[in-house]
Order: sequence, then structure tokens, then C-alpha cells
Amino acid sequence: MKAEPQPADIKAAQDVIASFQKARKSLRMYPSNNPIYVRTIEDVFRRLDNILEIGPLELGVRQNEILFGDTPVYAASGMEDNLAFFFFKDGLREISFKSGLTLEETREFLEAISQDSGMDEDIVTLLWEKDLEHIKYVIDENFLLEDETYETEAVLHAREETTPEEDLKRAHSEAFSSSTPMSAPEIVPLSSADFEELMREVRLDSADKLIKLISILFDILSDCQPALYPEVAGIIKSALEHSIRKGDLSSALGIFSAMDAVPPEGPVSDLLKKEMKKVQAHASSLELVKELGAHLDSGQIRDEEMLIDYVRRLDSSAIASLIAVLGDLKTMEARKTIMNALAFLGSKDLNALAKGLSDPRWYVVRNIIHIFRKMEDRRCVDFVIKASRHSDVRVRIEVIRALGELGGQGVIQTVRDALDDSEFSVRSSAARALGMLKTEPSRMILMQHMAGKDFMQADFNEKKEFFEVLSGWNSPESEAYMIKCLRAGSLFHKGRTDELKACAAYALGLMGAKNALPLLHKLRDSKNKTISDYAFNAIKRIEYGN
Amino acid sequence: METKEPEQDRPFRDLVSQLAVVIRTSQLHNPANEAVVTAIEKMIPLINGLLEDESSIQVELVGEYFYVNENRVKFTMEHLLNFDFLQKEFAKRSVGSISFLCPVAVENIQNFLSVFIACQYAPDPYEALVAGLAQEKCIDPGVVRRISVDGEHDLRRAVKKTYFNAVSFTKGVMNKLKAGERVNIKKAKRIVESMVDLLLDREEFLLGMTAIKNYDEYTFHHSVNVSILSVALGQKIGLSKKDLMELGLAALFHDIGKTEIPPLILNKPTSFTDEEWNVLKGHPVHGVRMIFRMKSFDDSSIRAAIVAYEHHMHQDHSGYPGIKKLKDLDLYSRIVSLADQYDGMTSSRVYARVPMTPDKALSLMSKRAGVQLDPLLFKFFINLVGVYPIGSLIMLDTRELAVISGVNNGDFQRPKMILITDGEGNKITPVAASLTEKDGLGRYTRNVMRTLDPVKYKINIAEYLL
Repeated sequence: MKAEPQPADIKAAQDVIASFQKARKSLRMYPSNNPIYVRTIEDVFRRLDNILEIGPLELGVRQNEILFGDTPVYAASGMEDNLAFFFFKDGLREISFKSGLTLEETREFLEAISQDSGMDEDIVTLLWEKDLEHIKYVIDENFLLEDETYETEAVLHAREETTPEEDLKRAHSEAFSSSTPMSAPEIVPLSSADFEELMREVRLDSADKLIKLISILFDILSDCQPALYPEVAGIIKSALEHSIRKGDLSSALGIFSAMDAVPPEGPVSDLLKKEMKKVQAHASSLELVKELGAHLDSGQIRDEEMLIDYVRRLDSSAIASLIAVLGDLKTMEARKTIMNALAFLGSKDLNALAKGLSDPRWYVVRNIIHIFRKMEDRRCVDFVIKASRHSDVRVRIEVIRALGELGGQGVIQTVRDALDDSEFSVRSSAARALGMLKTEPSRMILMQHMAGKDFMQADFNEKKEFFEVLSGWNSPESEAYMIKCLRAGSLFHKGRTDELKACAAYALGLMGAKNALPLLHKLRDSKNKTISDYAFNAIKRIEYGN
Repeated sequence: METKEPEQDRPFRDLVSQLAVVIRTSQLHNPANEAVVTAIEKMIPLINGLLEDESSIQVELVGEYFYVNENRVKFTMEHLLNFDFLQKEFAKRSVGSISFLCPVAVENIQNFLSVFIACQYAPDPYEALVAGLAQEKCIDPGVVRRISVDGEHDLRRAVKKTYFNAVSFTKGVMNKLKAGERVNIKKAKRIVESMVDLLLDREEFLLGMTAIKNYDEYTFHHSVNVSILSVALGQKIGLSKKDLMELGLAALFHDIGKTEIPPLILNKPTSFTDEEWNVLKGHPVHGVRMIFRMKSFDDSSIRAAIVAYEHHMHQDHSGYPGIKKLKDLDLYSRIVSLADQYDGMTSSRVYARVPMTPDKALSLMSKRAGVQLDPLLFKFFINLVGVYPIGSLIMLDTRELAVISGVNNGDFQRPKMILITDGEGNKITPVAASLTEKDGLGRYTRNVMRTLDPVKYKINIAEYLL
């Protein structure tokens, strides 16, 4: 395919290059399990496979061009997104695809060319490491030349002292007159046992090296001059970052454990502790917490206990980072884990956690309130109350739930106000919150609300829910109120009054109020089917307990 | 230390491995023995299966690698023993390849085995094998494929270029680090990749370069030599290409901490005071710092830092730096320690102007094996460099003097050499020869009597090796 390519072949080669470019974008954009990622690789493979049926595809690389034979099949200017330059800058001058290329090799190739150039790797190294059987490349070795004259000078230097003939003669005569024995050891052939032991050693050696390095770094710290503390601590910081990026919490915890061993007192220790604080602050940074979140989302970190153990070591600046990350997480499990972590860390600094209540994302605010709720700490009440007027109803519901669970005098007014919320679900939550508080004042607030005109107008379900909550007190006052409702008669608003009767029957049943049985039996024969049904069910519950 | 195993290689790898099993089993038992037959029966479907798609199957040994129908067979640790064994069996008989030309049955393989086992005792094993298999239509042995003279010349040129470029690069890195400048680590990786490729291709050429010492540029030559020797040993123990690169890089920078040692101490020709010695002993710690100054934090920098820290620690932890909690030395550290000691001892250094001969160095190292050095790796190392390492000056029973120039994979006791004098001790135009050469009666033409110290006689080894 090298000599005089046909127009159709040129077009096919152009299409292949275009598909490489497209693949670079897709592979950078999507995770490897995304269907677009997979389809992109398959598409490139199909194109290459078709072209390779005719023969190998050999592409020349110039600074801004890729050639097929002598024909440019790709041209670009500038350095950004320039595929030709991407290859050229690292010394790659020719790349060829051979028949037999596999989908796996195509994937590896595309992943290599899609990788963002790091500081320490280039495309040639990436392809070299992958060692692809059907993708070969030619490099301009001059790219590697450090000093063009060095080799010539070194060879000249090495050869400049030609061995004089007389020295050789002397060596010869002395050698054959001496009887000094050979000093070299015997070569013992390698046995199967040697290979087996070697394999065992290699297996043992494959354990993660980071833990070992961490131990070395702390050994260095314990012995070195204080002037070196910042540099060594900087390496420890990088080690921590590396472990988190890999989702390796165990190594990260190893760093914290080693930090515990730093002597607690003394001038040197103070300097050291200052550096260790920096490491801890880095662990708490948004950058690293984001990594943690990504690993949680991907399922790479599953051990919640270990995560909490890790979070336990962070400083309170991690709270802001965790809150920021919380809103970006995609999976329920990840959110749950981060919330548990926040509950732990937040208990040390409620103010820092409360800052999350100002987050513009309603779901983050709701999560923060949920965390306060789970903390079961009444100090949280003031923070939670601040979100009671949040514009999102889901937040307001969570606020009321939290207040109901947290309890205390301080929550009453907010819960009472919530009974008048424009949303049924908030009012309903408020009623339940009062039920959870289960105090006399809360009962009175509930009953006052139920006695109001607005309550009469409320939906049947809302009424039923309120009566259900009131039944929770099981007090003579509640019972009396409900019996009063059963007896109520009205010429006007008959429908609303009947709803109240049905709800009262329902609540009395829940309470097991035997005193109400005569009235309930009466209502059993009511023409209103709802009243009749609810009365019947209440009787059953009171008399038979079901 | 992961090693990828492409699935398409599997039948080839299995065939090479099973061929080794069959031959090894038949060395213990008669070809008709049940154990041999069972091994043969496992191999037959592999051969015949491949023959369904190919007209013939050729298992060929080229350099250190097996190829099946021109496809290089990548092996993993668990195949190392079989591959190593088969390599030696091929080399013993000067067999380059075994071709299967048509589907085979148990009898074909048994017939082949009888001849293959017996021919090793013949004066010319390869000829005996060919003669013995003359009637066998399905199995055909082939000679060792020699790299063409042009190809070899190009390879030698590439080796020289890579070697000196590596030295020059290392010099640049060390100077830049001293000056507090940034270092291009990408280039270091590329240089090590080139070295790994050359070692995988023809190990002896690049290994031979390590015998060329340069007193003035010792530090830089030493770094490169340690890297080459380490990679060669890593290859011997079956590390993957990627691991070899990591090892080579770690070895190249094992002494990088010396850039922090004042030149007055580093270049002091006389004994160190206690204080100076303590300063010098700080270089492993500085090494860790230097590694992370020039390289971002990743798996390869972690290994390089560990090697920089541990390479003087010794197997029994009697070296430096001292550590609080005993930890096993890293595999790479143990490899680099061997290479470091060997190259150091055989080089002329500021505090030891007269280098040891390679055999003396090995002898001293053998005493240190199990104490300072890993005894198992030392065993592999000595199998790598041979009893007469490249650069050794030897006297032969023909009264000729020669310089060892390369190893013979089949026979480590009988390396390749360059004759530099005739039997009278007269200097001659250097002639390449091998200690494996035999006369018509099957006797070795030349045998080593002992080694000599080239420094003592001012013999410039580089003159013959470059």
C-alpha cells in the first residue's frame, strides 16, 4: 500500500485518522464502561480492520502532517489538538498497523493517544510499555541525544591508550610462569528449586510499595536535620495524594498512623508537628476529598469503616470539602458514606457543618439537615431552624422532621409555624414532629390547630393524619376531643363534619378507646359509607385488637 | 509487577512450554514411558491445532527469545523455568529451531525425542540430530539463525550510541540537579527503554559496554552500568518489559543522592574521617529527596526512591542507613546492590584506583552472598555474567591471551572472546573466537587456564571491546 496509493485507499486512511481524532475526544470524555467509549473503539477497529485487509497501513509523521505514502492524509497547524504534532514532538516519525491487529490492541493504542501528556511520560513510552504486536513505530533517535559529541569523544578517549606490545609480552610471560589459581566462583546451574524460590520472592515483592516508602520517609524524618522537614513532609504529602488518587485508604491510614508516632513534645517535635499539620490539611483539601468521592462513586472504596477511620484523621477544614463533594456524588451509597463521615466530623465543629446550609443546592441543604438530625444533638437545633424557611419544600420537610427528632423547647415555635405552611407535606410533617415531641404543649398546639377553621377545610388525608398523630398521646383530653368530634352535628359543612367523624373514629380505634364503643356502634349504621367503614374498623380494632 | 498475557499468544506460549516439559520428562524416562507419553499427548493437540491454520509450525530460538512462526512468544514468570530449560537444551545442541511440517502422532514425537536426547553426546550434536531425523518427515530441526554481519554492525553501533548517550544524559542530570535545574525525566525513560530493547535483542552487546570503564567519568558510567547490569539480571529472572524499565530507571538513579555530597568528600582519594564518612552515608537519604525533586510521584518514582534508600543497606541490614524497624529489602534494591557492588569493584575509583578483575569481584561477592547480598539473586547474577565476565583478560591453554567479549547462552563456562596475542605473546590483529569451538574429535580447541589483571599490565580492554 506504500507505492502510489489509490484514491479510495487515501480516503480510507483519512477516515482512520479522523476516527483517531474523534476517539481521542470520546475516550477523554467518557469512562471506559460507557457505551460511547466502547462503540468508538469498535468503530476505529472496524475501519482499521477493513484497511488492513489490503495490506499494512504505514503512516509517516511530520510536524503538522500525517502522510500516507507521500500523500498528506491529515494536516493541522498550531499545537493544540494537533495529532501530527502530538506524535512528532516525542520523536515518533512513522507508525504502522499490521494485519492481525486486534480490538484489544486498538483499545490500548487509542487509550495511549488519548492520555493527557503527563510530566513524566510521552506517547513513545506509552506505546513501548504496551508492546503492541501489530502496531509498530519508528522513532528519530536523535531526539534522545543529549550531547552529540559525547560518544565520539568517549570512544576516542577509551581507545587512545593502545596497549603497548611489550606490556602484552610481559603479561604473556608472567601469566605462564605464575601458578596463581583461579579466584572465580564456580557457576552453579540454576535448579527448579531456584526458580520456584524466585517466583515466591517475586510474588512477595509485588506487595504495594507505597507502605514501604511511607515507612522510609518517617525513618528519614526521625533522623534528619529539621531543615529537611518541609521537603520530606512534602514527599509524605505527595504519598498521601498518590494513595487517595488510587483509592488506597489503607496506605493513607498508614501515613496517619506513622504521624501518631511523632514525639508529642520538644522543640523539634513542634516543628515536625507543624509539617504534619500541613499533610493533614492537604488530606482535608477539596482536591483530595473530590478524589475520595470519585472512588466512592465508582465503588472502588467500599469499606465504610475504613473511610470513617480515615475521615477521623482529617481536620475540620475537610467539612467544607466533604460538603462540596456531597452535592456532586452520583450514587446513593457514596452520598450515604459521605454523610456518615460528615456526621462524624461535623460533631466536632457544628458551625463548619452548618455552613452547608447556605449551599445553593437544595439537596445538599437537605442532606446537611439530615446529618444534624442523625447526630441527635440538641445543639444542632439552632442551625436547623435557620433553614426552616428554605424555598424548597423538601428542605422544609427535613427541617421539621429533624426538629421533631431533636426535640426540646426551642423547636416548638418553628414546628407550630410549619403547621401553617402552604404545603400539605410540611404541615403533615409538622404534625408528626409534634407527635414525636409528645409533650403537653405540643398536644395543645396540635389540638388548637385542629380546632381552627382552616383545619376544617383541609383535605381528608391531612385531617386523618393529624387525628392519627393526636391518637399517639392516648390522653383523656385527646379521647374527649375525638368523642366530641364523633358527636358533632352540623347543618352546614356536613361533608367536612363527616370527614372529622370518620377521622375521629379512625383515631379512637388506634387508641383502643373502649369508652367510644357505644358511639362507634351507632356510627356503624351511618348512611355515610366512609363513617360507617371507619367506625366498623375502629370497633374491630378496639374489640379484637386488629 | 503485572505482566500482560495477550490471549492470541497463548497457543504459542503453551507449545513452547509443553515442548520443554516433554523434553525434560524424556530426560528422566524412556520415550515410551507413560509420563512421557502423557506429556506428548498434551503437546500433540497444540501442534496439530496450530497446523489447522498454518502450513507448518516453527519453534525458533533467536537470541533470548522463542518465536513461533515469527511471532515472539512473551512468557511470564510461571513459564520462566520451562523457557530457560528449553533455551539451554537448544543451545547445547546448537539447534536454532524445530519445525513441525505435518500433523504429528505420539510415535513422531517419541522418535524425535530419542534422537534429540542422544545427540547431545555426539561430537557435533546438531549434525547428529539432523542425521537421526532424516527419515522423520514431520519434524525438521534448523540451525541457529545468525544475525547478518550488517545487522550486527548496525546493532553494535546502536548499542554504542545508546550507551554513551545514557552516560552523557546521566552526567547532564547530575549536573542539572547540582545546579538546582529541572530534569527531563521523559528522556530518562526513553533512554532506559532503548537499553531494555537492546538487552532483549542481544544482551551481550550492551552488557559488554559495562566493561569499558572511565576513571574521569566514573559516577556517570557507573550509574549506566548498574542500570544495564540490573536490567540484564531482571530479564534473567523474568521481569516484564515494563518492570525492566522501572528497574532500569531506579538503577540509573540509585546514586543520585551523591549530587548532594560535597565534591571534596566525594573525590577524596584518601580515607574518610568519621565525619566525612557520615556525610557520605547520607547519600541514600538525599537520593530519596532527589528522586522526588526530579520526578512526579508515581509507582516508578516510589520504587526508585526505595532503591536509592536501600542500595547500601545490605541483606542483613548491616549497611546504611540504619532503620528502626527491620524490613525485607525490596527486590529491586537487592538486584541493584549486586550490580552496584560488581561494577564498583571492577572499576577504577577515586578511593580504589586499581580495580578488581571480574573474577576476583565475583569471588568476593560470593563470600558476601547471604550476608550483604541476596544469595539467590547472586546465583542468577553469576549465571548472567558468567564465570569469565565480559572484559575479563584470560590466558588459554594454547598460550594465547584473549579478552572475553560475550556469553554463550548454552554454555556459561565457555563464553565468546577476542584473541589478542598469538601463542608466543605477540600482539595480533584481534580475532573473534569462542570457547565452545571444537576440533574434529569433538575436543574443545581452547580452554581457559586462568584470568589476568589487565590493569597490572596496562592492557586497555576498551581497545578490543569498542
